[in-house]
Amino acid sequence: MEPILSVKNLMVFFENALALNDFTMETGEGQITGIIGPNSAGKTTLMNTLSGLIIDMRIKERRRGGERITVYGQITYRGEDITEMTPVNRVKRGIVLCRERHPIFPESNVLENLRIAGYLKKRSRIKKIVNQAFDLFPALIHLKNRKAGFLSGGEQQMLAIGMALVAEPRLLLLDEPLLGLSPMMQQLLVEAIKVLISESVLTVMIAEQFARPVLPIINFGYILENGMLALSGTGKELMDNPEVKSAYFGV
Amino acid sequence: MKKRKERIDRGIKVRSEDIFALTSYREMIYLLAPRALPVVGLLLFVPLFSPYWREIFISTAIYALLAISWDVLVSVGLISLGQSFFYGVGSYVAGALNHYWGLPPVLTLPVATIGGAAICTIALLPVLRLRGIYFSMVTLVLPLMILRLVEATRIFGGTEGLTGLSPFPGQLTEMYIANACLLIALFGFRRLLDSDYGLIVRGINDNDRAVMNAGLNIHWYKTQILFLGAAVGCFAGAFGTHHDMFAGMPGFALDYSIMPIAAAIVGGTGTFAGSVLGAFILVPLSEILRALGALRIVFYGLFLVIFVVGIPEGLFHYIRRKYHQFERWVDVE
Repeated sequence: MEPILSVKNLMVFFENALALNDFTMETGEGQITGIIGPNSAGKTTLMNTLSGLIIDMRIKERRRGGERITVYGQITYRGEDITEMTPVNRVKRGIVLCRERHPIFPESNVLENLRIAGYLKKRSRIKKIVNQAFDLFPALIHLKNRKAGFLSGGEQQMLAIGMALVAEPRLLLLDEPLLGLSPMMQQLLVEAIKVLISESVLTVMIAEQFARPVLPIINFGYILENGMLALSGTGKELMDNPEVKSAYFGV
Repeated sequence: MKKRKERIDRGIKVRSEDIFALTSYREMIYLLAPRALPVVGLLLFVPLFSPYWREIFISTAIYALLAISWDVLVSVGLISLGQSFFYGVGSYVAGALNHYWGLPPVLTLPVATIGGAAICTIALLPVLRLRGIYFSMVTLVLPLMILRLVEATRIFGGTEGLTGLSPFPGQLTEMYIANACLLIALFGFRRLLDSDYGLIVRGINDNDRAVMNAGLNIHWYKTQILFLGAAVGCFAGAFGTHHDMFAGMPGFALDYSIMPIAAAIVGGTGTFAGSVLGAFILVPLSEILRALGALRIVFYGLFLVIFVVGIPEGLFHYIRRKYHQFERWVDVE
């Protein structure tokens, strides 16, 4: 199968610190890929690089005279080299990132948040996809007019994923969607992601440190450690791996 | 094989920061030279100029003091748009003491510095709890308000101001007082912000709630910093008023608010040295550009824009980085 996203020898430097070292991966259409790793493994850097946010960060740091960010390697999306493409153009092509720590617009209400996320879409279309987001997360329906800043962490995370979905992604990047959520809420979100993938043609990449809820649903997983690829394999293979078991399941 | 430009701190810098082990004269000079530069420049080099240029450097020192005062307030997160308030209060306090009671500058300068700072602190105390735009608004409005108050009630000579104040004994003395005070403020505040006290101050700017959580009264610290910043501004005002032999409404003019901010932005905020550097570029530049006549402001503005777009971090930060770091090409394996 032709991979829709392939990353070749990706290296990201923050000044002299190497955040991602020679990382190579690919993912096919309709697959769920997991990027598993502890803190400071480079998961967020990878997500920022794939979504193009790193380009914006690079410009801002340079203007501040701060850390110099350098990106080497190649990212190909549907046969197109997108390594130096701006985030806007990536979103237009369907690569949408849901950043970590559920960033939402705290001063706007839930409905407005979802509508802002649909900025690139037509008005008639927004209404339809917003309703789809509510279908996926029914808990948000009766919170429609609540200010997003007053929602709980789990509700904010649902809203953040909903906002990413309103942008109609073809490749959805989820950065630590389970961070700071209760085990019950984690399960609920994982179920929602499963439903999502079965209902539409969507490719998902999840970066997460909680391997337990994520590994069962992924098709293929990469385990990162200190910016290096430590291990890769299908979800089943990773779950059966003794090292993964001891490190992530405590068995 | 791809190459990457690497930026590395010089060994001397790293050692002098952590363990402070200097092993040669070269290293001592490396650390001493940038600090000696303003001292030698201000005390030995600047007095060599012609009387006309000395005059300009005296007013540069006044603007540099105001820029330091602005930078002090910024270090605790208070963005002031009214340095002219401090300048005006300082100038009126010194002027009134000299005009009505005939006190000599040697007394009016310290009294105006401390007393003026106390007046400014009390006047701004109610808005000290506000952050961001609200503090800026009030500091912007206060000098304009006092200006009209003086005009309407005709206190302190009304629109004519207080004239015939006692001057300094001579231009060189005046220059040395200004430059010495500038150096004291520059090095004093740099030292202060490097101390544990400065740690708290910078902490309040970064995240005031975290500082509150540490059990510190942030409003008390903000008041102290406001007092210190106001003291520097009031000294500049008192000094300027004796320099002009006149205290009046121009002391509250917008120039004294805008110029220090421009100087601090061009030089780079947060280091005080940047503010001084900025003032020593902008004020003489504005004098040189006088030759252009009416186009002066256009070129001046253009220069400012080029600076802010070209080196947004500030000139001093840029120079410091180049001084402490070197770059080399390395292979990316």
